[in-house]
Amino acid sequence: MKRPVARPTSNEPQSVEASRVPRAFAPAKVEIAEPEFDVETDETLVAPAPRRTGWVGRLAWTAGGILVSAGLGLAADRLVRDLFAANEWLGWLGLGVLAVFLLALLLLAAREIVALRRLRVLDALKREAALATADNDAGKARRVVDSLLALYAGRPDLAQTRQTVADNLPHLFDGDAMIALTERSLMAPLDARAKALTAASARRVALVTAVSPRALVDIAFVIYESIRLAGAIAALYGARPGLFGFWRLIGAVLAHLAVTGGLVLTDGVVEQLVGQGLAAKLSARLGEGVVNGLMTVRVGIAAMRVVRPLPFETQPQPVVRDFIPELTKLTGDAVK
Amino acid sequence: MPQNPTTIVDELGIALSNLADAATGAFTPTLRLGVTGLSRSGKTIFITALVHNLLTGGRLPGFAPLAEGRFIGAKLAEYPDATIPRFAYEQHLEALSGKTPTWPESTRRISQLRIVLKFQSKNWYSGMTGPSTLNLDIVDYPGEWLLDLPLLGLSFAEWSAEALERARRPGSGKEAGPFLDLLGSIDPHKDANDPDAERLAAAFTDYLRRSREHGALSTLPPGRFLLPGDLEGSPALTFAPLPPPQQAVRSNSLHAMLEHRYEAYKDLVVRPFFRDHFARLDRQIVLVDTLRALNAGPAAVADLETALTAVLGCFRQGETNPLLRPFMRKIDRILFAATKADHVHHTSHDRLEAILNRLVANAAKRARFAGAEARPIALAGIRATREGTIVEAGETLPTIIGTPIAGEKLDGVTYDGKTEIALFPGDLPERPDSLFEDGTPVALNFLRFTPPQKLDRNANGDVVLPHIRFDRALDYLLGDWLA
Repeated sequence: MKRPVARPTSNEPQSVEASRVPRAFAPAKVEIAEPEFDVETDETLVAPAPRRTGWVGRLAWTAGGILVSAGLGLAADRLVRDLFAANEWLGWLGLGVLAVFLLALLLLAAREIVALRRLRVLDALKREAALATADNDAGKARRVVDSLLALYAGRPDLAQTRQTVADNLPHLFDGDAMIALTERSLMAPLDARAKALTAASARRVALVTAVSPRALVDIAFVIYESIRLAGAIAALYGARPGLFGFWRLIGAVLAHLAVTGGLVLTDGVVEQLVGQGLAAKLSARLGEGVVNGLMTVRVGIAAMRVVRPLPFETQPQPVVRDFIPELTKLTGDAVK
Repeated sequence: MPQNPTTIVDELGIALSNLADAATGAFTPTLRLGVTGLSRSGKTIFITALVHNLLTGGRLPGFAPLAEGRFIGAKLAEYPDATIPRFAYEQHLEALSGKTPTWPESTRRISQLRIVLKFQSKNWYSGMTGPSTLNLDIVDYPGEWLLDLPLLGLSFAEWSAEALERARRPGSGKEAGPFLDLLGSIDPHKDANDPDAERLAAAFTDYLRRSREHGALSTLPPGRFLLPGDLEGSPALTFAPLPPPQQAVRSNSLHAMLEHRYEAYKDLVVRPFFRDHFARLDRQIVLVDTLRALNAGPAAVADLETALTAVLGCFRQGETNPLLRPFMRKIDRILFAATKADHVHHTSHDRLEAILNRLVANAAKRARFAGAEARPIALAGIRATREGTIVEAGETLPTIIGTPIAGEKLDGVTYDGKTEIALFPGDLPERPDSLFEDGTPVALNFLRFTPPQKLDRNANGDVVLPHIRFDRALDYLLGDWLA
């Protein structure tokens, strides 16, 4: 039979709750700090690296890359040699043009990288803002607001709202209040303009569809307008995507459409049916126009959701319903 | 068995008034905001800040109607009840923004105010008819009177037992001594006579006054004994608690007379006050001066909790049946506010809210059960301090910077009301329950500060009152009525 045994689980004495005594100081000794939070940028603001390709793939890409660059280098080298062989000054000219070309290429690449980064920062900002609201974390919210103010620092149209945010910020103590203030002041005007852009695009698409002679023309125009709209909205929210950034943006918009397409569809399904039915009764072409317009509206909404640097909290989410009046107005006008 | 706070006649009157409101409210709805708080909890400051911020469109980024640009403006209007003085907003504001800013004096009488708010609704059907208006009715009153509300549910015997039990506690021996001695020397079964009643009432009033001066909080009803107003010396204020009768009470005995007067006090003073001002509220904010209770120690904290629970038990909270809405008004949202949040550093606001939650736990539970929403917040209607940090002996202390009111003391230093200091008031306990326990002394000392010395002015030249979370409080209380 074993005897009962009791042992303390930890050797350290129970720490007494550290409690500091009240004290008063002359203000001269004090370092005065209005609520100032740690403003250094966070490493986690940069999105995690995309999935790396496996070693076989990397080997193939590397080998292929070496071959192509060797080929290009050789071609350029031979071209310059040939030029020198033809005439010396022609050779120098060719060399100069080559140098300018390489420099321009380098600059272009740098710009693309910056643009891609900016898209990622917007993504990360949205995540951070959602976290700051959920945790009511004042320090995190402050960092998000500061990054946003920096992002829009060069925008003359937002000068006054930036000032509003900066004036009110020192009087707030809650993370969610800071994010709400920023969303109300900075995002609301941008939202309104993004909606106007979307509505204008949708109207154009509907009109072109209604009058175009060939279905192919419609499709081409829808694609052209969608791409233009996504780019315009991204630029509006401060993303300014380059070529590759643009591909990423389109990819994200398409992915968003694929995921939420059903949802977006159902949120305004009644209105869509009504609009479609009414318009289709008037004319088949007009009905198609409205459908294509709605497609563009969905692209616009998806682009807004993808590039907007703050989640929709105080402002209403854009829904297809908001744009129905614009489209039906157009069809109404067309019928008259 | 607790009595119903109102009679059937009162209920009829309340229902009729509600019906009249519903009829006029079809055009301009009226929101009755109940600003509830014991004495010195900051009711007057809160109302002044509310009126000023709404009138001048102050710095309220968290108040959605204003931040979204839908709030058009506000103006003061005539209050429908012509017999009650108007809330002296202008004088209070002048005291705060004058050359030497001072806090308004404590409220000694009841006053009312109506503000008309003009706004553009977000709803498409209200928005179509142009701007909407909303009347906001507010009442200011001495916090002492609030303590009378629980009396409505108590008979003379119950109240006497409660009051005498409190007077006989070891802690209040010094203050209650003379009254208890006098009570012992008078036989309540002898014939009624006024001199004895007056002597008893005077001694009891004296005890109440002294216990308020020595203790931090007055949880002792009847409140009108301390602030009698016009009723001073009237029979309804000339009574005192008596021990339970040893024999049958004769109808002409002193005991019967005092009991009769207690009932008259309830009928003529307390019930009309409740019926006219508290039975028909839509929203309520409960202001709690947590810091003053913390300064005074565990007994005061426990007292505060008891008083709050008893007072809040009198209010009509919960959801109203939509069909009965024209006849019935209930408080559907309550905001519990720890006032004077500017007297602690913002890093301590979470703990302040936790302490507040603990204090009002019973009241909040009751309100939620009835179907009302309740929320805690740490706020300051007018922010009197700035924040800073100080490094002492390698330790970084978050401090608040302000000018303590003349006469405030810390570590043997008495301040003259002119020196600005940085104060570290001590850490609030992480566990709110530790405040109720006698064993662990909590090292806390909150000084009272003078109002802000320099105030900003906006583009129209109006004073901008700095605040802490006041905008969120407004949004919670009024926001959905202005949607």
